Amino acid sequence: MLSVLIWIPILSAIIIGFLPGKVVPASRVRLVSLTIAGIVLLWNLFILLKFDISNPGMQFREYLPWNETLGLSYQLGVDGLSILMLILNSLLTWIAIYSSDKDTHRPRLFYSLILLISGGVAGAFLAENLLLFFLFYELELIPFYLLISIWGGEKRAYAGIKFLIYTAVSGALILATFLGMVFLTGSTSFAFDAVSTQTLSAGLQFILLVGIILGFGIKIPLVPFHTWLPDAYVEASAPIAILLGGVLAKLGTYGLLRFGMGMFPEAWSVVAPTLAIWGAISAIYGAVIAIAQKDIKRMVAYSSIGHMGYVLLASASSTALALVGAVSQMFSHGLILAILFHLVGIVEAKVGTRELDKLNGLMSPIRGLPLISALLVLSGMASAGIPGLTGFIAEFIVFQGSFSVFPLPTLLCVASSGLTAVYFVILLNRTCFGKLDNLAYYPKVVWAEKIPALVLASLIIFLGIQPNWLVRWSENTTTAMIATIPPIEKTIVSQVALKQ
Amino acid sequence: MDFANLASQLNAGTILPEGIVIITLMAVLIVDLILGRTSSRWIGYLAIAGLLAAIVALCFKWDAINPIAFSGSFNGDDLSIVFRGIIALSAVVTILMSIRYIEQSGTALAEFIAILLTATLGGMFLSGASELVMIFISLETLSISSYLLTGYTKRDPRSNEAALKYLLIGASSTAVFLYGVSLLYGLSGGQTELGAIANGIAQANVGQSLGLVIALVFVIAGIGFKISAAPFHQWTPDVYEGAPTPVIAFLSVGSKAAGFALAIRLLTTAFPLVAEEWRFVFTALAVLSMILGNVVALAQTSMKRMLAYSSIAQAGFVMIGLIAGTDAGYASMIFYLLVYLFMNLCGFTCVILFSLRTGTDQITEYSGLYQKDPLLTLALSLSLLSLGGIPPLAGFFGKIYLFWAGWQAGLYWLVLLGLVTSVVSIYYYIRVVKMMVVKEPQEMSDVVKNYPEIRWNLPGFRPLQVGLIVTLIATTLAGILSNPLFTLANNSVTHTAILQTAAVVSNQVSVIPAEKPEGL
Repeated sequence: MLSVLIWIPILSAIIIGFLPGKVVPASRVRLVSLTIAGIVLLWNLFILLKFDISNPGMQFREYLPWNETLGLSYQLGVDGLSILMLILNSLLTWIAIYSSDKDTHRPRLFYSLILLISGGVAGAFLAENLLLFFLFYELELIPFYLLISIWGGEKRAYAGIKFLIYTAVSGALILATFLGMVFLTGSTSFAFDAVSTQTLSAGLQFILLVGIILGFGIKIPLVPFHTWLPDAYVEASAPIAILLGGVLAKLGTYGLLRFGMGMFPEAWSVVAPTLAIWGAISAIYGAVIAIAQKDIKRMVAYSSIGHMGYVLLASASSTALALVGAVSQMFSHGLILAILFHLVGIVEAKVGTRELDKLNGLMSPIRGLPLISALLVLSGMASAGIPGLTGFIAEFIVFQGSFSVFPLPTLLCVASSGLTAVYFVILLNRTCFGKLDNLAYYPKVVWAEKIPALVLASLIIFLGIQPNWLVRWSENTTTAMIATIPPIEKTIVSQVALKQ
Repeated sequence: MDFANLASQLNAGTILPEGIVIITLMAVLIVDLILGRTSSRWIGYLAIAGLLAAIVALCFKWDAINPIAFSGSFNGDDLSIVFRGIIALSAVVTILMSIRYIEQSGTALAEFIAILLTATLGGMFLSGASELVMIFISLETLSISSYLLTGYTKRDPRSNEAALKYLLIGASSTAVFLYGVSLLYGLSGGQTELGAIANGIAQANVGQSLGLVIALVFVIAGIGFKISAAPFHQWTPDVYEGAPTPVIAFLSVGSKAAGFALAIRLLTTAFPLVAEEWRFVFTALAVLSMILGNVVALAQTSMKRMLAYSSIAQAGFVMIGLIAGTDAGYASMIFYLLVYLFMNLCGFTCVILFSLRTGTDQITEYSGLYQKDPLLTLALSLSLLSLGGIPPLAGFFGKIYLFWAGWQAGLYWLVLLGLVTSVVSIYYYIRVVKMMVVKEPQEMSDVVKNYPEIRWNLPGFRPLQVGLIVTLIATTLAGILSNPLFTLANNSVTHTAILQTAAVVSNQVSVIPAEKPEGL
């Protein structure tokens, strides 16, 4: 059942990529891949329907032996931590394909790479085997590199190679840690449940956990390792940026939760205070740098760094509430970033610039882009954490859950949330408001272009009003995860937190 | 000694695969003498048929009850069979590549194939040789044929220079190797058979003496030359650039596999007493090779030179398995060499194809190739990405197994270095992919703009195409469907007597010096 999510996109990517023009003519490639992404999305929703919320463990498990010598098996499963990420992945894939330019050059390669990524990401979220996870994790490397450096902006070559190297380093770190985890625990298999790090000494656990944090920290990205992000996000075209920010960043936080907290509960509570402060610094840094940007895409890119900082804070505090908040924040950040990048893409396509100094008065009802600006205002608000929208729900749960453990970092994050509002107001003020130049004459935004934004916006509003639909999926799983963290260590955490 | 006893001592059936290769070799030579140039249309296929027959014969020798042949000078155990298979396979693909290449250079194909088969023969015998003289003779057969092959396109000054360089370095390194071997003979009290040498040395009580260490270092100098491990690598870039490309393909896989086969057999059987020492030396070689190979490859502009440094680096990765010295370590080496065969030969086939069509192999000239030749672009991209270790290609599984075996043996720093240098390697492999795939049509190089129409029906192109597609499919699928290959590699190690006893001996060795410190 879960294999469908992986293999339909990957197989159709291969078919689209290799079959000659007669079977799938170049003009139809977009339509075909849109259909495939739609089917996968529907299948994913079907799985969501069947998903048993009360079960905290893995569901719909699949198992096939693969390579005994390496301890690699084809083992899939989904739980509350990954179900939302899967939905996000297939939804954003569909939106990325939908929002891509109708006459993209080299469409065959473009769409097959997107589908390949979609299948690979689904595989990574589903994998129940460390090596299988790593395999799917590394599978993203080359397609994203090509997507950035073929269809990107002006500095795409630089951005592409930078992304490639950072991600490859992250992969190397993660692989080294995985090998270490499995070898040191004496397990012969890389399956999740076969690896239990409880037997290791505290020092070893700490070293391995640091490997995990650094490896996934590059992908999330955490502050000193984030420098690939602005380049990659800005130089990538809008659909690719949606995938990068919406899906790939979640792979990092998911990995941190699953492998960092899930597999090193004891060491996790030792590093948690540092992580909380790190998250807060990330959040503040992202917000402050975003204020200084003159390019709206760059602003959105830095906003992403900030929002990922909240996830880190929530995972560090490891209370049941905070973890639900982390998962919700991952999901809503995916939605909000996708809509922002989509809208920015439309603005760039219609107006021809992303500069804050040149944009003006897009709100103007006749000659401007009124609906797009309105949606931009809405998503800016969602990003800044205005109640009634999903961003607020997620952030509020995060703060509520973290405050009791790490009061100071939480306050810093709240402050950065305020700063987010600052730069979004700057952004909206400079782009949507003001007076339109007399020379401005923008092409019309057709309805088809508005659909993804409208879908995302209605989701954002719906989940903001009806947050139960956002949080119910992960509650049981996260509670079960918290339960593995020993209570003694918990008190140490709070003591450490109090000392600060 | 009656005849039956003699026959069982000789056990000549063990070298049946080599026998087939010899017959093919003679057939190729004689047919060429009788029919002259007209035979060149099918003589390549004759050689391929012979080599494939040899491979089939190898399969029948698998798990032979009595692998020792020629009174102990040749060992046909499963380890040797795997390596002989790798060498024969690499010769098959090399012939597929060379049919057109040699024709185009205006030299005789049959002579080329004859020398190549001789080299194959040398390599195959080297894989099983377990006696000093036998080792040296097969090593020389391999080396001398390689010098001839390197300088085969004799009107090309670069090929001449490469041959001279290879000859001078090769001859001196075999001389050093010979000196080490003669020391072994002396130290062991006149034994030439590898197992007997180990016993002789143990009995003469010169374990870990200075003489043994010198013998070890000299032998490693010879082996390091064959597997192009830094610092014995200096010939590699120049020879790779000057020699005919099919020859390079053979040297990078066949000759290297022979070197590793020699390394495993010689080091584990003859030097169990200094196992710590040779592991240490090889660690140094691996570290140097991984760093130098990967870092210098970044700065190359010629495709063949880039692949030369890449092959130095890949040798460094393979050495991790050798240093680990466990069953998994040896098995991972063998598995990696198997997949290395496919990916490297696929890459070299693409290089040959490109240079046949355009006459150049500069990396920048590849830009914009995807439009003119999608198959070549796809194959070269996949083989290079596989060399870089990108999932789900064969090279990824090969590297994972190497690193996993290394980690299990406690070689943490080596594995970490391997991971880091893998990241570096991705950069220069992807550079070629970028040239071919990412560049826009307007950035196309002049060579690609004038790219000839793709025609596979020209003489000699069909075998190239077959070789390309077979290796491409193997590169793509050998990782995903890796179970049979893993089983093959594992069985070849666990069924091999020398590796199993060596593991026991080297465990005991650690006790010996503690008991007999005066032996030092």
